[in-house]
Amino acid sequence: MLESILIANRGEIACRVMHTARRLGLRCIAVYHHADRTAPHVALADAAIELDADIPTAAYLDSAQIVAAAQTSGAASVHPGYGFLAENADFAAAVEAAGLVFVGPQPEVIRLMGDKVHARDFAARAGVPLAPSVTQDGSLDAFVSQAAAIGFPLLIKAAAGGGGKGMSIVREAAELAPRARTAMDEAERYFADRRIYAERYVERPRHIEVQVVGDGQGNVVHLFERECSVQRRFQKIIEEAPAATLPPELRARICQAATDLAASARYRNAGTIEFILAPDGEFYFLEMNTRLQVEHPVTEMICGVDLVEAQLRIASGESLPWRQNEITQRGHAIECRLCCEDPYQDFRPATGKVRKLVVPQGDGVRFDSGVIEGQNVSAAFDSMIGKLVCHGQDRASAIDAGIAALQAFVLLGVDTNIDYLGRVLAHPAFRAGELHTGFVTEHAAALAPPELAADQEAVVLAAAALGVAEFRRLARDTPEPYASIGAWRN
Amino acid sequence: MPRIQSTIQTNSADFRRNAAHNRALAEELHRRQQAARFERPARDVERLASHGKMMPRERIDKLLDPGTPLLEFSTLAANMAYDGEAPGASCITGIGMVQGREVILCVHDSSIKGGAWYPLSVKKIVRCLDIAIENRLPVIHLCDSAGGFLPLQSELFPDKYMAGRIFRNQCILSELGVKQLALVFGHCTAGGAYIPALSDYSVIVRGTGAVFLGGPPLVKAATGEVVTADELGGCDLHTQVSGTCDYPASSELEAIALGREIVQQWDRPAKWPLQQDPVEDPYYDPDELYGIIPDDIKRAFEMREVIARLVDGSRFHEYQPAYGTTLICGYANLWGYKVGFLANNGVLFNDSALKGAHFIELCNQNDTPIVFLQNITGYMIGREYEARGISKDGAKMIMAQVGSHVPKFTIMCHGSFGAGNYGMCGRAFDGRLVFSWPNHQIGVMGGEQAAKTLADVKLRQLERRGEAVDQATLDRVYHETLEAYQHQLSAYYSTSELWDDGILDPVDTRNALGIAISAALNAPLGRRGYGVFRF
Amino acid sequence: MGLDFKFTLDQKDHDVSVRARRPDLVLDIDGRAHTVRESAAGDGAVTLEMGGRSYHVWRVWEGDRLHLRIDGRSYSVGYEDAIAAAQHAAGGDDVLRADMPGVVVAVHAETGATVQTGDTVLVIESMKMQVNIVAPRDGVIEAVHVALNENFDKGALLAALKATD
Repeated sequence: MLESILIANRGEIACRVMHTARRLGLRCIAVYHHADRTAPHVALADAAIELDADIPTAAYLDSAQIVAAAQTSGAASVHPGYGFLAENADFAAAVEAAGLVFVGPQPEVIRLMGDKVHARDFAARAGVPLAPSVTQDGSLDAFVSQAAAIGFPLLIKAAAGGGGKGMSIVREAAELAPRARTAMDEAERYFADRRIYAERYVERPRHIEVQVVGDGQGNVVHLFERECSVQRRFQKIIEEAPAATLPPELRARICQAATDLAASARYRNAGTIEFILAPDGEFYFLEMNTRLQVEHPVTEMICGVDLVEAQLRIASGESLPWRQNEITQRGHAIECRLCCEDPYQDFRPATGKVRKLVVPQGDGVRFDSGVIEGQNVSAAFDSMIGKLVCHGQDRASAIDAGIAALQAFVLLGVDTNIDYLGRVLAHPAFRAGELHTGFVTEHAAALAPPELAADQEAVVLAAAALGVAEFRRLARDTPEPYASIGAWRN
Repeated sequence: MPRIQSTIQTNSADFRRNAAHNRALAEELHRRQQAARFERPARDVERLASHGKMMPRERIDKLLDPGTPLLEFSTLAANMAYDGEAPGASCITGIGMVQGREVILCVHDSSIKGGAWYPLSVKKIVRCLDIAIENRLPVIHLCDSAGGFLPLQSELFPDKYMAGRIFRNQCILSELGVKQLALVFGHCTAGGAYIPALSDYSVIVRGTGAVFLGGPPLVKAATGEVVTADELGGCDLHTQVSGTCDYPASSELEAIALGREIVQQWDRPAKWPLQQDPVEDPYYDPDELYGIIPDDIKRAFEMREVIARLVDGSRFHEYQPAYGTTLICGYANLWGYKVGFLANNGVLFNDSALKGAHFIELCNQNDTPIVFLQNITGYMIGREYEARGISKDGAKMIMAQVGSHVPKFTIMCHGSFGAGNYGMCGRAFDGRLVFSWPNHQIGVMGGEQAAKTLADVKLRQLERRGEAVDQATLDRVYHETLEAYQHQLSAYYSTSELWDDGILDPVDTRNALGIAISAALNAPLGRRGYGVFRF
Repeated sequence: MGLDFKFTLDQKDHDVSVRARRPDLVLDIDGRAHTVRESAAGDGAVTLEMGGRSYHVWRVWEGDRLHLRIDGRSYSVGYEDAIAAAQHAAGGDDVLRADMPGVVVAVHAETGATVQTGDTVLVIESMKMQVNIVAPRDGVIEAVHVALNENFDKGALLAALKATD
């Protein structure tokens, strides 16, 4: 096992990595920006090195400073967490060039999977399904006939573009030719490149991903799938394992596809292959994340494994900790991402100080926390401050546990999405597993805070008033006989 | 402590007749109070509103802690003076609670003639400051007054207890370490300027508040200078330049909010530790007082029945129950406070006077405040009683009572005639507070007695002049005298002249005494010691 | 009776006062009486009994806001002390505050400048949106509390108008 590790991250994931590393006997070194000097990951570490940067996030993206910090502190290895430099091939290479162990895949694999076009080609070669697509190479008629062959609806976009320019959804064959022509004109205008591209447009798509772990020698196991369909602003907020509803045969195929892809890449480390699942049961490769995933705890809870431990063992040169047939799952786990944000103002980030934090305890409740009471939550970092994961014997009991834990959760001082998450879990469509990536938009009205009834309003106001020192004094410190005589006039 | 065993029959004809009579009196009281408090010429109300001012009682309601009492003094002061043009004597005074602190409110009533001071206004203000001094109660002045009512200046300015006494009392309060706050809502003219100037803290409302020794007309007359009230003594001048006022306020509400916050800064000096037990409501319904008080001033009634409807649990420890029975003495709890009661149950004889004197000494020995319940036609007169020394026995009672170092409170429950008024701590004897019931009458003697005496005098005058006297003339003289006399005997006349601190609906007596006792505990006990008793 | 305590909940204004204290505390909430009992819940929170039900209440202050968590639901209640409320009522809005965190991208009015209602005093950027911070009333700028490119948090005081007579 490695002797020590520098965690090139912050927040809950830095803490989570340190917990396992410490259990395995590794010395933990944190890096931090000044804005994070009192953050829990700094307090938790055996040593902490400050990174210099004007903008707080820049510190955690400063590859050179972090490698230097690792060398200065004598760290044997570097764990990148997720986000920041976790999928930066140059950083992984720099860590290895400095003679340190990078707890992650080989830099060339990171680079491969980081390039969407190359990753797609690679997946195709590995036999992983991709959304059917056609690229127009000049002939409109050929494009129209090839595109029509894919089936409708279709998404047309500029091959060179982005940002929605030249993009349109075509639902009927008759619309295809005129839309394609318009799209080409727009593509020409915006990108000076008339080429357009069409792919199967999946309505009400679900997001299914598969956790894999490879040893870099071509040995790969999967740890089943996760469903991450509930998203806001293209970011997951609720994830679960296993998927809400998935026929066993389809599930096996998805897991196999993921394993095949990782094995083809001789993947080392824990990784995740993401798929789009269409309502008709077709699934398409989306991308591969070459790192520990935010939502990895749901897999850990149903499989009874520690993925960070697996990462560290593999990075130490050990073989895969499990054979595929040793990996089993038990029950259902749901993760809620706790974010400091206002769910009713387009999820606008909220800032402030965490004045009160009470984390629910109990069997099957796990909170991966990056926050402590008294901590400032600034706009400088991601709004996610922790993950509440609940396990139950089945999906229904996991939902109930999640609702109960969210209700018992107290985080006061900053606006959070805690109550919003509770309403998502309690929504009948969620319970029924009717999930797709547009879930929160579709159910926005039902997920808005219910109007306060007058008597509830009175309870809130009474509780608030008694929290105001001068009101409290007025209500409680009136001496006798005045208090008893009350509002009497002679 | 044993409970008084009430013997009244609430369904008896007497009880029902008395109840109807006394309820009518209470309603009459409330009607008069309501008028004195709220009936104002529309012109005055509109003028206040046009200046963005609140009515004085709105200011009080905003200033006091919500859900707490106000013990108002002398609501009907001046109700029989100045043709009723100065209801409440143009000011509002009382004890209330601000930020959990007992304070005296001294409020100019600008809804009547600009809050001008009449002679009885000055008497009422001086009295409330005397109450503040005697009880060491902080004072909040709510200033908004045009100044002295000039046509009556000779009756309010020059004498010892006239306007100057207000400012003298302010200084005495300060010397005693008692805090004062002035909220200046309107004008403080001439002497009135000293109210904020002599207060520890003052807040002045921008635009309407002004403080000056001489207002713009006087300045113009004296020096020819033409100046607005605001330039002469407004908010900015006094808070930025002269330093006469401390806090500027942009509105009356802000002034009140600032005032409350200022009071919050004040310490709460410890009260003297009177024994205080858990409070118990009276066992007998205080509402029954209406049926107990007779509808005739000459009719006697059982004062124990009154005590039973004032005190905690109607419990009473009676002292010397078998001796001097026309004066009831004993201990009871009132709002949990241990107090001694002296209550008239007939004319005072030698033994009752001696018992009273002794019991007053016991209360002083015990540091127990004393409540006097007056219903007294006097000390017994006649050769036999003079021979037994009724005068010197009455003197002993007065000596003991005046020499008391414990606070005293007096309720005028019915009649208060002759020297009995003295022994039972009448107005002249520094009771901390003196309240009357609406049925109360006071005079050197009873109405019919006085009318007869005066009619006799008249008869002798006529006889000396040799004029013929017929029965009709005699009757006319008797009835005219009785009517004039009775007018002055009435509780409304008493309270108009500030011979008391206000008329109470009898059922309010318990609350009033609770606040009075609580307030009294703020002042340290007086010096122990008596003068010479004649034995 | 008494000065009301002013609260805002869900953008609505509410008045709370004390109506009675014995035998139970009775609060006056928007003119209606509510009997309230409060006791320590033992876990640092309080138990509030109202209308025959009991509620588990956590509360903390954040500036002029009180954050409450009552039976698994969070609330944010604004409170204005009596003096501020009176000034507010008398003088209108004298301060300009940020209703979201952001950065100053332009300063249009300096200290001492005369502004009219609706004039832009500052432009801020938050969540990639530029927002004009405008004068709430006619007046004179007493102070601009932030500088160009300065970051601020939600609720930060950006500028103030001089009090008017």
